[in-house]
Amino acid sequence: MSRKKALLPIVVIISFILMTYQSKKGHFGSPAQISSLLDSAHKTIASLTGSLSQPFKRLALREEENTRLRQRVDELLLERDRYLDAVLENKRLKELLKLQESSKTTVAAARVVARGTGHWEHTLVLDKGLKDGVAKDMTVITPMGLAGKIISVTDSFSRMLLLSDINFSAAVRVRETRKEGVLAGTGTRTCMLKYVPYEEEIKTGDVIATSGLDSLFVPGVPVGYVSKVDNKGLGGNFQYIELTPFQDSSRIEEVLVIR
Amino acid sequence: MRYLLWIAATFCCFLLQGKLSVLGVAPNFTILPVYYAGLRHGETRGLLAGILIGFFEDSLSYSLIGPHLMSHAIIGYTSAFLVSGALFRWTALLGVIAVATLTVADNIIVFAAKSIFDKVPALFSTVVYTSVMQALINAPAGIFLVSKNAD
Repeated sequence: MSRKKALLPIVVIISFILMTYQSKKGHFGSPAQISSLLDSAHKTIASLTGSLSQPFKRLALREEENTRLRQRVDELLLERDRYLDAVLENKRLKELLKLQESSKTTVAAARVVARGTGHWEHTLVLDKGLKDGVAKDMTVITPMGLAGKIISVTDSFSRMLLLSDINFSAAVRVRETRKEGVLAGTGTRTCMLKYVPYEEEIKTGDVIATSGLDSLFVPGVPVGYVSKVDNKGLGGNFQYIELTPFQDSSRIEEVLVIR
Repeated sequence: MRYLLWIAATFCCFLLQGKLSVLGVAPNFTILPVYYAGLRHGETRGLLAGILIGFFEDSLSYSLIGPHLMSHAIIGYTSAFLVSGALFRWTALLGVIAVATLTVADNIIVFAAKSIFDKVPALFSTVVYTSVMQALINAPAGIFLVSKNAD
């Protein structure tokens, strides 16, 4: 075999040795400088394109936005009146039960600068890192609900794992009935609600929120609603429940990192 | 100077890959410089480009180091044979087919390596969908990445 032809088998064998070693001993750490360089470039491009397109976007949207906002203000004023009584009642009841407000602490408001480079990983790069107080395993939310969690942090950037990633899981419960389960990503738009026994009654439309029992996610963060329930044995010993997250993973631009 | 151009082109591929999305699928542009290196400079340089770019991509994925390194090295090596005149004569259509096929092959190798040595990275249906989409996105590049043996 000529030297050139031997190169490929050598590379393949070295790759196999490398991967076998890592599967036994754990992954090698990724050099932070490499990703920081790329993340910085992403941030520069994001701010450049943002500053260029912003004035045009503003012009186009201003008129439409004004009309919509005026309608919305009217609606909200009506809504506020309706909810004021409920809020006061809620406050009184909470005081009576000596319940404290859940201690969600906002760590940082971050902007998405890029998607992760992995083919299958559903990750996003955020423009906040260690310097801003972001740490691994912190919860990431949007105004719609849970968006994911922080999986790695460098000085100025962090990476979040989206709900839709197959490696994502979180302890959740049905908001009304308080039944518990485990949310798992599927790699698609919808997620799965796992480990719900057949005797538990779950209906389409039930709202799911984090339970906090995994000691990772802040409890009470809305996640999504049940979009499909199959209790005819498709899920093995448990019900097959599909969940549609409130936050579409492909449309995330700004997020809040909380703990 | 030539090496700087290669580095800049590869860096742009990584940047675009992180920014663009077609129907929810991020493109796999990093395979293009590897394919081109094999096509223009032969199997050894194709292999070397594959190793370097693959290692860079593995480092950025914050998981197992090796799948992209191996897949890109194989792509760089085989692209030299596929369309450089050793097996086929280069045509634009062959370029399109080669890029699409190698993109799918790259995904299959990465998926298989991750499934064996780490954990299954995605559902099979997602893998098929992503691979087909990435192949379609990359395919037109096959027309412009011309072999040195082209007429």
